[in-house]
Amino acid sequence: MTEVEPRQPVQARQSADLRHALHLFRRNPLVLAGLVLSVGSIALALLSHFLVNPTTWQVTHPILKNCWNNPLFGWGNANIATCPSSLALGTDSYGRNLLQMIVLAVPVDLQIALEVVLSAVAIGIVFGATASYAGGIVDEAILRVTDIFLAVPGILLAIVFMVVFGRSIPVLTGAVVLVWWPTYVRLVRSQVLSEKERPYVEALRSIGAGRIRILFRHVVPNSIYPLLVQATLDIGSVILTVSALTFIGLSPSPLLPELGNLASLGSQYFFTAPWLIIFPGLTILLISLGFNLLGDGLRDILDPRLRR
Amino acid sequence: MKLYEYAIRRVLLMGLVLFGLSLLMFYLTRGFLPPSFALAPYITPRMTDLQKLALAQSLGVATQSCPSFEAFSAFQQSCLVPVWAQYTGWLSNVLQGNWGLTLLPGISGTQTTLSVFFGRFPFTAQLAVMGAILTIAIGIPLGIVSATHNNKLPDHISRIVSLGGYSIPQFWFGYVLLIIFVLYVRVGGLGLLPGSGSLATNCVICFTNPGAARTVTGAPILDGIVSGNLHYAWDSFVAMILPAVTLSITSIGALTRIVRSSMLEVLRQDYILLAKSKGLQERVVIYRHALRNALLPAVTVAGLLTAFLFGGVVVIEIVFDIPGVGFTSLTAVNSFDINFVELYVLVTAFIIVVTNLAVDIIYAKLDPRIRY
Repeated sequence: MTEVEPRQPVQARQSADLRHALHLFRRNPLVLAGLVLSVGSIALALLSHFLVNPTTWQVTHPILKNCWNNPLFGWGNANIATCPSSLALGTDSYGRNLLQMIVLAVPVDLQIALEVVLSAVAIGIVFGATASYAGGIVDEAILRVTDIFLAVPGILLAIVFMVVFGRSIPVLTGAVVLVWWPTYVRLVRSQVLSEKERPYVEALRSIGAGRIRILFRHVVPNSIYPLLVQATLDIGSVILTVSALTFIGLSPSPLLPELGNLASLGSQYFFTAPWLIIFPGLTILLISLGFNLLGDGLRDILDPRLRR
Repeated sequence: MKLYEYAIRRVLLMGLVLFGLSLLMFYLTRGFLPPSFALAPYITPRMTDLQKLALAQSLGVATQSCPSFEAFSAFQQSCLVPVWAQYTGWLSNVLQGNWGLTLLPGISGTQTTLSVFFGRFPFTAQLAVMGAILTIAIGIPLGIVSATHNNKLPDHISRIVSLGGYSIPQFWFGYVLLIIFVLYVRVGGLGLLPGSGSLATNCVICFTNPGAARTVTGAPILDGIVSGNLHYAWDSFVAMILPAVTLSITSIGALTRIVRSSMLEVLRQDYILLAKSKGLQERVVIYRHALRNALLPAVTVAGLLTAFLFGGVVVIEIVFDIPGVGFTSLTAVNSFDINFVELYVLVTAFIIVVTNLAVDIIYAKLDPRIRY
């Protein structure tokens, strides 16, 4: 009994915390919208290959001529009656069903974004924690290298990287990681620096815990919340960067179902067929907005100073 | 540390950053590709192997002791110059102001990289400056309104605008504006705003009355004003409206969020409560007491916003056909014009780093609590 009793206040506090977080969550409709959009886009990505048969998506649509104009908006002189409802967004310049293309493109973008953010977080934890714990010349060297990367607009670095290493999805991912890692190194470094001055670190040291153990088992997990918020926010920004890169012609293949690439194909016809750029771009906006709203809300919920 | 000591240290670090950046870019473009790539843009079909070898040697990618072009093409050890030696050769050229001839398709070999770059840079600078003005003029008031009406309708609207701006793909926003203002909103059979180029397309009067504008600064708006051709200046300005709005949308979102959160933080402090309890008007409290302190964190992100603006111009210039350096740099990368890419990256980085430095010094001046 004496072992259980001290735990109860902690549990009670935790459940109160959770209830309070849920309350904040409910009170803020924008976070809920963000959750719906981001979870929805992930669900769409996971289900996309059940919704669209990936073996037939490249087949040119037989009723291209009738449905070149978008039946949903009725632009131009489409023969709306002959267009099936599956062609709700019309066809693109290759005669492919635009709705299917967007459904197939969502997982491509989301996968790149997740890979980029996870890699950047991993690099950030390793270098940021090392910099703040080693201090001295190691810290200075790592900081100066991040300075170099932060002094140049990211998209430019990514363009050069992609032209040098060729156009493929792994290179695209690498190019965006190259842009994003310094932010995380700095974030982790400042978090660890403020965290390692806390009393519990001294307590751990006094009971003989090793430096590496303190750093990666205690300090890093304790500074994970800001990292989580930043990572959520950055998924949206990474999708924007990736689609901007593919939009300006650095797509691995002109046929690749990727949202920026679809928009790029559509941009050539924006006077005669505006939906070809409107819908892929709108999808990018909704996904990015979803993750940004979610990240913004998470920050409000996880930051105790704002809980008033 | 005194402020000037800090400034000197920062200037030295700035040099280090620019040096490191040029090294990074050089290594990316030269270190990972076969040495013949550095040569490829210069080679014409009629060149003999001897000429090609001489060219490779003059560019610093082949050693003087290289026996033949075949040996160079086969990557024989005696022919290859290590990347660091290529870099030092390039650096000594560049430090003497020799950036070489341009390799851009169409004008290859006829003009120097410097003249092409600085002929086109004013267009980009004009766009970026207009974007910066819009960012400040919209971002700060929106942030204030959002903070003072926390969790009310104006706050929700401004949060949606700022998050939307932060989440919107710029190229797409540009095309949506084009579709709206060029395709649908039409005045007298013409689009309300011009869709491409650095001048409104229907500007006949610009060149007839009172004549052509002199090229003084290179930026059309300033040139028009300087040479007294106000039609030209106005038309250039009108042509920049859509690109500037598109460019600034991301930074407006970022700035609004920062102003909002720092304003919320400041409004919670005791001295604001004191000011209110003294009986000061709400307006005076917000604008005289809170805003000054709330803007300090916003000033620190000026460097970040500059980076946003200069990163954005690449895409915006492609969407709106503006003949600036952002658009040209993409062509330059594709034709392996290392000098142009290096120049663009270094000039942009210089602007960003100088902005950061200036901001930090201004910050120290504005906030007496900060000591270096």
